[in-house]
Amino acid sequence: MRGFFATSVQRCAELCLAASVGTVAEATAWLDDDANTVDVLLVDLGLPDGSGLGVIRHAVRLHPRCEPLVISMFGDDDNVLASIEAGALGYIHKDSRPEDIARTILDMRAGASPISPMIARRVLSKYRSDQVGRATGPPPPSRLPDKSLPGTDPDALPKRSLLSPREQDVLALIARGFTYAEIARLQSVTVHTVQTHIKNLYAKLSVNSRSEAVFEASRMGLLPRHG
Amino acid sequence: MAEPGRVGSTSLRAPTPLTQGLWAGLRRLLRQLGAPVLLCLAVQANALTLELREARASVTIQGQTTQLAVRLPYHWDRVHGGLQGVADFELPFTLAELPDKPYGLYVSRLGNAYEIWLNGVLLERNGDMRNFNGADYAKSPRFVDITPGLLRAENVFRVYIRVDKGRRGGLAPLVLGPEDEVQRLYERDYRWRTTGSMVVVVLSLLVGGVALALWATQAVPAKPGQAGGRPLRDRLYLLAAIAELSWTVNVGDALIETPPFGWPWWGMVTIAATAVWVCTMALFCIEVAGWGRHPLVRWLRRWILLLLAANPVVTAAALVHGYALALTLWYTALGLTCLALLPLFVQKAVRDGSIAHRMVAAALLLNTLVGMRDIYAFRVSATYGGTTMLRYSSILFGLALAYVVIARLRSTSGQVRDLLSGMAAQVKAKEIELQTSYQRVETLAREQARADERTRILRDMHDGVGSHISTAIRQLQSGKADASDVLHTLRDSLDHLKLSIDAMNVPPGDINALLANVRYRLEPRFLACDIRLTWDVDLLEPITAMDASAMAQLQFMLFEAFSNVLQHANARTLCVLAHPRETPCRGVRLQIIDDGRGFDVDQPRGNGLSSMQERARGIGALLGLASAPGRTVVEITLGSAPSGCAVVVP
Repeated sequence: MRGFFATSVQRCAELCLAASVGTVAEATAWLDDDANTVDVLLVDLGLPDGSGLGVIRHAVRLHPRCEPLVISMFGDDDNVLASIEAGALGYIHKDSRPEDIARTILDMRAGASPISPMIARRVLSKYRSDQVGRATGPPPPSRLPDKSLPGTDPDALPKRSLLSPREQDVLALIARGFTYAEIARLQSVTVHTVQTHIKNLYAKLSVNSRSEAVFEASRMGLLPRHG
Repeated sequence: MAEPGRVGSTSLRAPTPLTQGLWAGLRRLLRQLGAPVLLCLAVQANALTLELREARASVTIQGQTTQLAVRLPYHWDRVHGGLQGVADFELPFTLAELPDKPYGLYVSRLGNAYEIWLNGVLLERNGDMRNFNGADYAKSPRFVDITPGLLRAENVFRVYIRVDKGRRGGLAPLVLGPEDEVQRLYERDYRWRTTGSMVVVVLSLLVGGVALALWATQAVPAKPGQAGGRPLRDRLYLLAAIAELSWTVNVGDALIETPPFGWPWWGMVTIAATAVWVCTMALFCIEVAGWGRHPLVRWLRRWILLLLAANPVVTAAALVHGYALALTLWYTALGLTCLALLPLFVQKAVRDGSIAHRMVAAALLLNTLVGMRDIYAFRVSATYGGTTMLRYSSILFGLALAYVVIARLRSTSGQVRDLLSGMAAQVKAKEIELQTSYQRVETLAREQARADERTRILRDMHDGVGSHISTAIRQLQSGKADASDVLHTLRDSLDHLKLSIDAMNVPPGDINALLANVRYRLEPRFLACDIRLTWDVDLLEPITAMDASAMAQLQFMLFEAFSNVLQHANARTLCVLAHPRETPCRGVRLQIIDDGRGFDVDQPRGNGLSSMQERARGIGALLGLASAPGRTVVEITLGSAPSGCAVVVP
């Protein structure tokens, strides 16, 4: 499988394969070497000596400009969401065609991160409920109900939600099966804008998960308080 | 003409220390024994106290007057049994020296109505001398103050009495002396006869009331199926209550000078009260001894009840018509019954009785002895004045009775407590059992859910991945299929697998999510086939009636419909519409419209469409097919109440 991905990358003229390793240990060692630079990291989650999530976090920490992509068999929301929170900016299906693999990598570099309706739904419900749980401010002015998911109350959204109203609208449409292009048409924006929303979202989720970890740690008394 | 006697002239001497000590001891004894019959001794021992016993009497009965000298006490019923009349007693007496301090007169009993005159001055009058069978003033001892000025060297008391028949009328000896001494005698007598009676009345009323309340409230509900179905009450409580309340009437009579109705009717009431007391005590003893089930006791009970029933007749015969013998015979019958019962009861108590039984036996024995003493004192000997001792010994009876009642209540409430704790334990056990069974049911439900999920996954694998792989194998084995066919089959298989996995996370009833996923998974293939997809999907309300299994079936149908378009339709565009449907009933209408070459809906290729029909039926959806070259419509109608909803196929 590793060979297939390596070949797919090598075949593309616009891409250059920096390295191809099979374990967490090898990947960490390669990333630790200052001589190496990396723009895109393709990571499988199920590695022989551990989880690919660790590699993603390591890469993001050492190489902030690195854009990790996770290789997923099914693109199932549990794994993908965990990867996004670890710092991944997209995912590629294992059964993708070689040319699709290269295309996904290039699209991501160009600012387009894929997101499935299931993940959009999960992100919406997770961060919406998270924020509702912690909200202190008054509820935001109500928006058009057809822009949100069925069975959710837009009034319950807090003012300073992790997700901007626009991002939530985009996610809600993705969750209903619309493509970026269709969303752009529906919202009278460019496709690029929609892509930017999603990419920003990825970054937010990653940062949020890190700050959430800090919040949890300080709440549990694991970190010293400032001041 | 008898001279009024100065009694105990020797005691005019100053008392010696020895006699003083003896006297004090005797008084103490008297106080303790409280025997008023001994009072005369006390009276005789007093220096300045006179007891006047000799009198000249003028007795008038039915208009005939007789003059006679009498010695007090004058017990009318003994002399003139069964007759009423009036009498005038004249008691002259001499005083050696005139007193300089107030004197008092104490008469233990006189009446039923009376007037007392001293030297022509009326000292006290109670009752109407001509109104026979009215109020009875003979029940209490009497004390009259005598001012020193009234007394002379030669004096005479005149006492008039009116006596009703059979009402213990008459005149007791007159005791005259210094006020403080005589009043002491009077007060002692009063205490014993009036205050004591009041105490007994209160006590009896209390015990009787409590017993009656217990009888009324401590009812055990009748067991289902038992005859009558009325609550069971303890007869013991009722007998105790009746006995004590009737005794209250009996003793209380001593406090009532003006009865609610005249003599001899009131007398009948008190005698009846006594009869009820004795009879219910006998029945009570039978209960206490546990003889209730003995066959002879049935007859005994009837006998006692018969005696009780006969009492009013006998009393009326004696008091109204003067057949005193009837009452005497009745008393004898009752007495013999009780005397026959007594040794048996006492014997059983001594041999194997409970504490309560023994207490009652002791009380019974004592009461019998005291009762016999009373009968002797008041019926046989000529005692006049004083009081019956039975009223005091009956206190012991009341206490024993109270003890029995309380013991019975305690044992009953103990049983109830045991019963309650037993029931609490049973409830607890049932609770635990219920909890266990609830846990078992929960476990079973969980297992069932797991089994259902397993079944669903297996069916998915069988219908989806399994059938695709076996198709791929057949294609490869036949050697006829080219690589693209096999690839197509395997891609179908993988897509199907992904959709199956997605289906696990799609919320039941969320058609938007389901459609979005199917599109997401199949989009690459539409792109590969160069089919333009038009997505016209409204925001849809979840269909609550659809569970996970129904969602999987719907997903399968959509997959099949898309798959047909991809494989066979040769279409350029595919339009997916999903709109809420309000009429004829709420639901969702899904339409998949392609511009391919179409097919004959009556002879569909393969079994894909028939499988869709079956699945649609399985989830209560309606499947509509319409096909013509350039326009093929697959319509799936979902609703909360699909049956009866007409579907219009375009």
